[in-house]
Amino acid sequence: MTRPQRTVLNNLSSYAFLLPWLIGFFTLTVYPMIYSLYLSFTHYAIIAPPRFIGWSNYKVMFTSDDRFMNSLFVTLRFVFVSVPLKLIFALIVAMIMNRKLALIGFYRAIYYIPTLLGGSVAISVLWRRLFAFDGIVNIILRNIGWANPPSWISNPKYALSTLIILAVWQFGSPMIIFLAGLQNIPREYYEASSIDGANKVRQFFAITLPGLSPIILFNFIMQMTSSFQAFTQAFIISGGNGGPLDSTMFYSLYLYLKGWGFSEMGYASAMAWVLLLIIGSLTAIAFKISGGLVSYGGGE
Amino acid sequence: MKKITMMLVILLAVTTLVFAAGAKEAQKSDTVTLRWAYWGGEARIERSEAAIKIFEAQNPGVKVHQEPSGGAGDHFVKVDTQVAAGAGPDVINMGGNYPDYIPGGPKGHLTLDLFPYAEQGLINLDVIDPGAIAYATVDGALYGLSTGANMPALVINKSLIERVGAPLPPVTSSYAEFRQYLIDLQRRLPSGVYAMQDIGVLASNSTPFGYWTGYNGTPLYIAAEKATKVTAADAKRYLDLFADYRSLGVIPPADIAASYAETNADTSMLVAGKAAIGFLWTNQVDGYQQAMVDEIDLIEFPGAAERNALWQTQSQVYTINKDSPNKEWAAKFVDFLVNSPDAAAVLGTDRGNSVSSIARAVGVSNPNEQKGLDYMAVAGPHTMPENDHVPNDTEFNSTLFLIYQRVAFGQISTAQGGQEIVDLLNRMIEK
Amino acid sequence: MKKQTKTLLSSLIMNAIIIIIGFAMLYPVLWLFSASFKVPNTIFTDASLIPKAFTLNNYVKGWRGIGIYGFGTFFANSFAISLLSVVANVIFCSITAYAFARLEFVGKRFWFGIMLVTMMLPSHVTTIPRYVLFNRFGWINTFLPFIVPKALATDAFFIFLLVQFIRGLPRELDESAVIDGCNKWTIYLKILMPLTVPALITTVLFTFLWTWDDFFNQLLYLTRPELFTVPMGLRLFLDSSGVSSWGSLFAMSTLSLIPCFILFFSLQKYFVRGIATTGIKG
Repeated sequence: MTRPQRTVLNNLSSYAFLLPWLIGFFTLTVYPMIYSLYLSFTHYAIIAPPRFIGWSNYKVMFTSDDRFMNSLFVTLRFVFVSVPLKLIFALIVAMIMNRKLALIGFYRAIYYIPTLLGGSVAISVLWRRLFAFDGIVNIILRNIGWANPPSWISNPKYALSTLIILAVWQFGSPMIIFLAGLQNIPREYYEASSIDGANKVRQFFAITLPGLSPIILFNFIMQMTSSFQAFTQAFIISGGNGGPLDSTMFYSLYLYLKGWGFSEMGYASAMAWVLLLIIGSLTAIAFKISGGLVSYGGGE
Repeated sequence: MKKITMMLVILLAVTTLVFAAGAKEAQKSDTVTLRWAYWGGEARIERSEAAIKIFEAQNPGVKVHQEPSGGAGDHFVKVDTQVAAGAGPDVINMGGNYPDYIPGGPKGHLTLDLFPYAEQGLINLDVIDPGAIAYATVDGALYGLSTGANMPALVINKSLIERVGAPLPPVTSSYAEFRQYLIDLQRRLPSGVYAMQDIGVLASNSTPFGYWTGYNGTPLYIAAEKATKVTAADAKRYLDLFADYRSLGVIPPADIAASYAETNADTSMLVAGKAAIGFLWTNQVDGYQQAMVDEIDLIEFPGAAERNALWQTQSQVYTINKDSPNKEWAAKFVDFLVNSPDAAAVLGTDRGNSVSSIARAVGVSNPNEQKGLDYMAVAGPHTMPENDHVPNDTEFNSTLFLIYQRVAFGQISTAQGGQEIVDLLNRMIEK
Repeated sequence: MKKQTKTLLSSLIMNAIIIIIGFAMLYPVLWLFSASFKVPNTIFTDASLIPKAFTLNNYVKGWRGIGIYGFGTFFANSFAISLLSVVANVIFCSITAYAFARLEFVGKRFWFGIMLVTMMLPSHVTTIPRYVLFNRFGWINTFLPFIVPKALATDAFFIFLLVQFIRGLPRELDESAVIDGCNKWTIYLKILMPLTVPALITTVLFTFLWTWDDFFNQLLYLTRPELFTVPMGLRLFLDSSGVSSWGSLFAMSTLSLIPCFILFFSLQKYFVRGIATTGIKG
């Protein structure tokens, strides 16, 4: 296998392909990032100019802001419960959908509909009603014998779980990506292994999982990253206050509250940078661990 | 290759269209354009649009673009961001948080002083209730013009109470009488329905808290002294009051109370038929009544008459952006909204009862609005001047809400809660 | 014979399971759909899926929007933004992905790492600086703040997705193309891009959906009601101090689902196409 020469011309023509991304990167990403890093060392009430206060924001965050630490724990709980569940469901359903049933197109669409509703206001409102004290869920539960079910959505012990369920319910996106990935595993592999006498379970572990491994990694990182930033559903379902008792105060929600609600954009910027570091570290760890597990078929 | 060329051509066409759409905005004309930002739903938007049409008809050459947001939360996020980028609207509605935007305020100076414009004759302040002007006057400058007056009240579900055969509560009562009434009423109510919603646990509870501290003689905040008169013991007594109600069963337990956000008619326990008494602002009567089949009415907070603990306040204020390129026209528009009888006819009491005597002459259009006026007539004498708003309004409300919930859910004691509230007050004042 | 019945039976069972679970999953959506046909003040009291008080009025009233601008306008705006974003993303993200996945150049690993990091940047951070920038260009109340970032490939998600896909394609394809006399550009256009169709379709679908639902940015950049999009129109139905128009909200939410559903339904068959194994020679 020959590799193209690293000539200057070669580099330049490669960079030409990269140009749009580079422009976007410097103007729309780097500049705002630097500006927000600067803001994280200031007190910035949005309309009045920023006032430099050094490390104060970071200090307060980790030593005296209970609501911050709480939001961090709430978010960690949310991410590490909902993401694995979501991926597992997505994979199972994708595998079920990866076959020639008569109405398969229709079925795929059905399972994707919850995701289509996305951050829809209507669905969040509905969710609140579903899990309310006198909501449908409790009506069903009472009918099957549970005499006094709690008010899920307004009980600090359970409110977060309703949000986790909402997130897992919308597993459509990773499901689609798994489906695309499953399609990309050559059928010959399965046929060959069948001939060799492998059963479905063995096939799954020997062919499907390794074949899907780049996709699994991709889905995991993407879901983790976006779950850390989850905002809309918590915002609408809790009415914007992260309640009850801050049990649904996601990191992003607290950031939003601090930045726009309490006019501490400097603090919010500091929170954003801390989040970036957390996500970055977890992703690096994920990549490191996956190095030995993920196989790229194209000979990278 | 052909497909690719076609795609590129389409892309080119699309890009040109996009830039053309952008360029259209830059047209220069001699029409004056005003941008008016406020919050509200469908009903309010229709009323506002009707008022705008009248203004534009009376003033050819002036166009008013309204920029409504679904809620106050969205509204301020949008306005703050726009202003930070130097692109704020001309006329901006604000609520009790307007002091955040005056010179020296925590968010920065945004609101224009209106007195000079009154002197130029652009705004007629002579027909405005003095209380309304005083409300938005700080250090000799007027930062906003009231959209209308309202008062806090307790709302009762008249039909429900009559249905269970209970007497209606007195409009005026003392705390002891009120407590007894709640107990008696609760006895007759079916299970699952409570005599009163736990207004201490609501997100908007800073108002009832403000009422009680006023009644207690220890106002929340005195601007001149930059201090609060509330002590931990006072705050504890307020928390104990509701703990008492909770133990009597006249208000719902914390998790049920928390499931009603009480931000509007849809999230109201009263409207849902699960509470007989709730908290309401007078300008909301029409909206709430329309959401219910049962009839509602207003009564005073207990103890209002004995200590004149209620107050009349302004529901919202119209403010003008100090960097607006059309300040004179903005002033004329605000004057129109507040003083014009034509405007008052279409705007109604949706943003409070008009504070302008010439606009008031129009009268109110429906019996629900009349209920608000009747209440204000009775409760009016039982008022004192409104206390100053605690600075950093949003954060105060949010944290107060959290503290109350923690007490209600039993996480902390009322004594601890009392202490935390006082600490919160001091923190907000110092910020 | 026995095997045929066995496969028929298992396929029937499979269908049944899928339908039952699907129904349970869809219950909230079905409820939403049925609520859109209920008379507004029965929506939360009538718990059944079949409306006891049926009405089409929610759709009529809801379509009118806020009177001056109706959902006809809102849908048009949403479509414009979403479609333009799709075009921009498909073109520019795949070009960038090609560069990262196949081309060699100085600093490639570095830039790739940087690109991954940009995926993890919380969006709230870049909001105000971007707003300041776009405002200086005069792009407020246009669709440019939505499209330009896509054209500059800031959606690292799709770049990453396409990179992973391209990496899965054998390098022999490239090499045989070079032998056939192709340069970088033609390798990309003629050989690789057609093979990444499943990933490109994914890009189309998700770009459309995420742009359609991007409420926060629409809120910031579109202040004139005539430019409002569907999510903003829906929000207008929620009145924070008075009565929300539930009927209209649910009716228009249902309508809002339809383009997304149609798009998804029509695109999903492209996932069925497997990799072209005949492209590999030798």
